[in-house]
Amino acid sequence: MTRVNPELAKELEKFGAKSATVCFNCGNCTAVCPLSNNSTPFPRRIIRYLQLGLEERLLGRMEPWLCYYCGECSQTCPRQADPGELMMATRRYLTTRYDWTGLSKRLYTSKVWEVFCVGILFFATLAVIYLFHGPIVTDHTKLETFAPADIVHPTGYVFGAVLAFFLLSNVYRMHKFIMRSGERVNAPLSLYFSELGTLAVHFATQAKLRLCTNKSFWIKHWLLMSGYTAAFILVNVDLVTRWSLTDSPPPAWHPAKILWTYATIAMLYATTVAIIGRLRKREPIHKYSHSTDWMFLILLWFTVFTGLLVRIFMQFDLPLPTYYTFAVHLALAVPLLGLEVPFTKWSHLAYRPFALYFERVRERALQLQQPPQEEEA
Amino acid sequence: MTERTKIGVYVCHCGGNISDYVDVEKVVDSVKDLPNVAVARHFVFMCSEAGQQLIKDDIKNLGLDGVVVASCSPHLHEKTFRDAAKAAGLNPYLLEHVCIREHSSWVHSDNREGATRKATWIVKTAIAKISLARELQPIRLDVEREAIVIGGGIAGLRCAIDLARAGSTVHLIESSPFLGGRVPQIYKLYPSGKSGCEIVEELIDEIKRYPNIKIYTNAEILSAGGAIGDFKVTVKVNPRYVGKVSDDVIAKCPVEVPDEFNYGLTKRKAIYKREHSYPDIPVIDMDACTKCGECNPDFDQQPQTIELKGSLIVLATGFKPYEPEEGEFGYKVHDGVITLPVFERLLALSDGKLEYNGKEVRDIAFIYCVGSRNEEHEYCSRYCCVATLNASLGALEKFDGLRAYHIYRDIRAYGKYETYYEEAGKKKMLFIKYDPEEPPVVEKSGNKLIVRVKDLLTAGEELEVPVDLVVLSVGMLPEMSEVFTMLRVPFSRDGFLQEVHPKLRPVETAIGGVLLAGACQGPKDTVEATASASAAVAKADTYLVKGYAELEPFIAEIDPEKCDGCEECVGECPTSAISIKDGKAVVNEALCKGCGACGGVCPTKAINLRGYYYDQLEKMIDSVGGD
Repeated sequence: MTRVNPELAKELEKFGAKSATVCFNCGNCTAVCPLSNNSTPFPRRIIRYLQLGLEERLLGRMEPWLCYYCGECSQTCPRQADPGELMMATRRYLTTRYDWTGLSKRLYTSKVWEVFCVGILFFATLAVIYLFHGPIVTDHTKLETFAPADIVHPTGYVFGAVLAFFLLSNVYRMHKFIMRSGERVNAPLSLYFSELGTLAVHFATQAKLRLCTNKSFWIKHWLLMSGYTAAFILVNVDLVTRWSLTDSPPPAWHPAKILWTYATIAMLYATTVAIIGRLRKREPIHKYSHSTDWMFLILLWFTVFTGLLVRIFMQFDLPLPTYYTFAVHLALAVPLLGLEVPFTKWSHLAYRPFALYFERVRERALQLQQPPQEEEA
Repeated sequence: MTERTKIGVYVCHCGGNISDYVDVEKVVDSVKDLPNVAVARHFVFMCSEAGQQLIKDDIKNLGLDGVVVASCSPHLHEKTFRDAAKAAGLNPYLLEHVCIREHSSWVHSDNREGATRKATWIVKTAIAKISLARELQPIRLDVEREAIVIGGGIAGLRCAIDLARAGSTVHLIESSPFLGGRVPQIYKLYPSGKSGCEIVEELIDEIKRYPNIKIYTNAEILSAGGAIGDFKVTVKVNPRYVGKVSDDVIAKCPVEVPDEFNYGLTKRKAIYKREHSYPDIPVIDMDACTKCGECNPDFDQQPQTIELKGSLIVLATGFKPYEPEEGEFGYKVHDGVITLPVFERLLALSDGKLEYNGKEVRDIAFIYCVGSRNEEHEYCSRYCCVATLNASLGALEKFDGLRAYHIYRDIRAYGKYETYYEEAGKKKMLFIKYDPEEPPVVEKSGNKLIVRVKDLLTAGEELEVPVDLVVLSVGMLPEMSEVFTMLRVPFSRDGFLQEVHPKLRPVETAIGGVLLAGACQGPKDTVEATASASAAVAKADTYLVKGYAELEPFIAEIDPEKCDGCEECVGECPTSAISIKDGKAVVNEALCKGCGACGGVCPTKAINLRGYYYDQLEKMIDSVGGD
């Protein structure tokens, strides 16, 4: 027995699920969705859970993470219930539920909290730079002298470790919710290892998104994702490559620099297109913008843009603009990474592949649990 | 009698519908030399202008004294051909239309020879029948502009107004002390949004403007009978035991009893009247009255017996809501389980906040299809889906913070009422679909009611819905009246009154002159009930305004020479059309339906059916006996 909970439905309105009750469950959305299949049908069933406020059921489903919001369902819906946006809202809700700190819920449900947290991290970063920066050389651009690598790098790793801890602990909670729902599953550890490939493939290729009818979404999304991954790798291996935080930057043909150029262009293009799209509201995916969507895009765009400016100023050997812009770049990157990755929108980079991974493990475990079927005569 | 010898026979191809499977030439050949036949032809489309002209020309040129047309079903074109015969100067009842399409070519398309033989037999019997046919005349009955309407609900009121407007005298009979029926109990009607009281008040205002409407409230029907043009209804008008008195006088009454108008949600005095209703004279409920005399009563008033006559009767006796069994969805077992009509009153009577039995109501579950679409009542009551949606929207509009759950089988918000369903979704009401095989269960838990339901839309998820009030959306049952048996009106399988044909004669009953209006015919909402009332009046006016009715002549005919007055036929007649006068049976032409049951029992063969005289039937049998 599950008790209906209209209060949950009310709460979900804050995450953007405003139109759930107009849905009359015809299932056109599920029929038209290129990603939905018999074993994991959506969005209809998820919307039904939203309507009735069936919290346990929602938490145990991974389908919301299968949806990439191409918006075909919203265009097909005879009731203008916007199933695509309802799935998006469910993802926001799930993100807050996976998060054990409670910060995620505050960021999603209160604009004040959101702006406040971003502001705090922004100014705190500036303050830290103000207090700990090295000598300011003005005759030549000496970025490493301004921001000594032996301070920046360890700080960055500690920061990264903290983020990873939060994100992975949230992923662990997600795992618990999914494995506990429905039929009880005891997956052997070996399955988790043997299915690691699923995780890697889906993380790297976003293969599911390619099934969406509109291929341009996949391309843009992949550009953004690969650009971000490239930048992430470059920043992390900066110790060795010395391509960014250095007093003497490498020449333009350096492979790291080519990769960096790609990352900048890819991310700048994808975010600019997304911002224009959200302003125009023509595509279903861009019709509704939650405050967190804007915050993510704005922080990311400015982070990438300031990064680009730093390179340009370095190239023209403008010391002061380089230092200041670099400070702002860091002050933007810290809230972007610190808030978006473990607590809000960007956490989906982990939740999506992990959802597929856990589902696969669960499926295999269920198969193992079932007694072998006798062959039919 | 002498036989007709100049019969024209016309066999139709019906394009190929007939001639593809029936050898029409062979049919013509095998009858054209019969002694009674003057001419036999076949033609591609007899019903066409050219085909009809063929018959007309032959009647005029050859002096035909009888015609047989063998084509489609008489339901389709008998009138066409009779009108053609009449236009050419032949008595239309000397034309026999027989069917060789449905009865031969279509059903024997695998057997051309057999189909042809059968068609020939059919044509031969028709020739035999028409050779002895008499010149019949339609029965003409005078119809005076006076009609009787039984039932003073919304359909009856609509009928009375429309009939009176066209100039007829109307006798409006209502069994309860006040006009209006069940509509005034409704909080808000769809689609107007007006209250039931307002609508009825408007109708009553109009009624009052017509002096040719005679109203009989608190009236019982003692007897009803007759035929079109000549109905008689005897009513007993029960006394009110009090004249017109002021509200202060009513307030003096010391007795208080549950008010049935509000389903016992409030109390009324033993002397009472209804607001917005008519007549504006109170009535004393003698079961409750203590005869204290405070209200200035007149206990000497006696019932009056009045004999009314009318050319037509419109039945507008309405419906009654289904009363759930004890324990059906917790009805009468758990406090807080009520029916939709009670909820309507609750809505109308509550102010500020919604309370039931002193408890504030926040969550309501509406359970649909209660007493409809089950083994006992197979039909869909059709009004309840929209009425329930409308009531829930009305409740949410009037009271803040209500939450509603619709626990339904199928939402049949047909036609323009789909918007109510849509609106309910926008108002965040939840819809839960149940399987009739596993209906919801209502239980009590603390001070809440719990509806347990398996939701089909969530793949059979078992849900618990905690609520304060459960409203059962009950269906419509026919309101029974003794007048139905008195008039011998037939019932449908569902127990409602039956029309002759749902499309061809939608407001008439098999009893000529008895028409149907409103929900007595089947579940209807107020819109449909008033529409059917106006339709019944339109049909009534085709007789009332014309001044006469014409009936087919095929009825029983008594030969007084042979009749010995044994009265066997009187008991057999299903429409009470035969009586004995001066030792002989007499047929009431308006009542007789021509079923022939009387002829079957008559020991002296004194009763013939016009158009089917014994000599005709014998010759028809003989005509195919040899084959």
